[in-house]
Amino acid sequence: MLSGRTRIALAVLVVASLTFVILDLRGGDGPLSSARSAVSAVTGLLQRGAATVFSPITSTENWWSTWRNQAGQIVELRAENEELERALRDSASDRARADALDELLRVATAGRYRTLPAEVISVGPAQDYAWTVTIDAGSLDGIEREMTVINGQGLVGRVLKVNQTTATVALLIDASSAVGGRVATTEEIGIVAGTGRQDSLDFQLLDPLAELVIGDSLVTFGSSGGRPYAPGIPIGEVTDITGTAGQLTRVATVRPFVDVSQLSVVGVIVRPPREDPRDSVLPPRQQQAETDDTTSDDQDIPEQDGNEEADVDDGARAEVGES
Amino acid sequence: MIVRQGLVIGVPLLIASIIQVTLLSRLGLPGATPDLVVVTVIAVALAMGPGQGAFAGFLAGIIIDVSPPSDTVIGVNSIVYLAIGFVAGYIVDKRDLTVIVMIAVGGLACAAASLGTAVVDSLLGSPRVLWDSVPLITLTSAVYGAVLARAVVPLMQWLTRKLAPEVLLEG
Repeated sequence: MLSGRTRIALAVLVVASLTFVILDLRGGDGPLSSARSAVSAVTGLLQRGAATVFSPITSTENWWSTWRNQAGQIVELRAENEELERALRDSASDRARADALDELLRVATAGRYRTLPAEVISVGPAQDYAWTVTIDAGSLDGIEREMTVINGQGLVGRVLKVNQTTATVALLIDASSAVGGRVATTEEIGIVAGTGRQDSLDFQLLDPLAELVIGDSLVTFGSSGGRPYAPGIPIGEVTDITGTAGQLTRVATVRPFVDVSQLSVVGVIVRPPREDPRDSVLPPRQQQAETDDTTSDDQDIPEQDGNEEADVDDGARAEVGES
Repeated sequence: MIVRQGLVIGVPLLIASIIQVTLLSRLGLPGATPDLVVVTVIAVALAMGPGQGAFAGFLAGIIIDVSPPSDTVIGVNSIVYLAIGFVAGYIVDKRDLTVIVMIAVGGLACAAASLGTAVVDSLLGSPRVLWDSVPLITLTSAVYGAVLARAVVPLMQWLTRKLAPEVLLEG
């Protein structure tokens, strides 16, 4: 049925594929890796061009998820509305204190990380199960491997590969990523590992007896030299805890602050802060709630806050679960 | 002749791979990303034949594996796509290709591609494959593939007639 030439050509292609697999699995700086970086420099350039062409479509709100999440948004907005009304009724002194805290946080945050802004230009297909994206800044802009990538919400991921004008970023939720995390306001540390799912990370506490509560925020513990992860970056919020204190396998589910389906502008930390910024980078609302918890005896308001947030979270998670 | 055939196969594949990561994967569609690259591979196979289909699969796999943001082992997609391109061209006769057949092949090929890469990746020790979402990914990928095939296969047939008519005399 097949001619001899076709059979030989097929055999050559199969053998070539297998050779590539073996060479690539062996690792190291062989001819394959240099060929790879040469080709990816070209395709990276082409992707930059194409991203510019498609930017009117990709930069608008994600129409599909917007449509899916409308029910969730109504719940969310209603909660936000109540919160705003209560905030209006709050006493002037409270508001002044909140404003002062806000200002303080903004000042503390600014200038601690020296970042280089970049835009996400391409995203790997879902069927690869790899959460990697390309950004439009590369070695020419001073990006190096293992730099931390953040955005306005928190930790996005780390730089995996660098070309001249583009770089590949492995997102926090990628199953291959593991970050040292610290529970905000405490000294408890553990490993935050990506699961490959958009809305959950696994958090394993190093100390199985440590106290952990749903709603706790996590920040990065920081790697030595700030790479691949600079210290103090908000990671996410604990939404579920399996196992009780003292059990060896005590794992918490963490919802990342960063929504990967809406990634556009990110910042690459080119120089980590000289000192660990501790919890100062966390969103002001959590900070305030923590402060209220520890400083004032008036427990009612923070507790209501916590319940409401949990409700909203459940709604959002149910939405995601359905889709 | 060989060079021209190579270009007729290679250029559409390169364009497809770029559209896939810069546009299709960012639409946020449920389940899988519409696999334009696999659909282009089977379009080549259906328009030209099994040999060209296999070559298109090999080339497509290499393009995907070396282009950012891919972090897969080079060659994994090549093996899977090569098989898909060859089989698609082998079982369907390019001279009597109906719409039903191209839709069916598009759907099956995309399902096979997402299943195949998941299996090969797991065998090579990738920690990423989420087996409980594999059914959803495979199913949605098949649906998108069927829809895309309806548009891409006729386009590839037209390109072949215009630019590489000699393949139509083969086989």
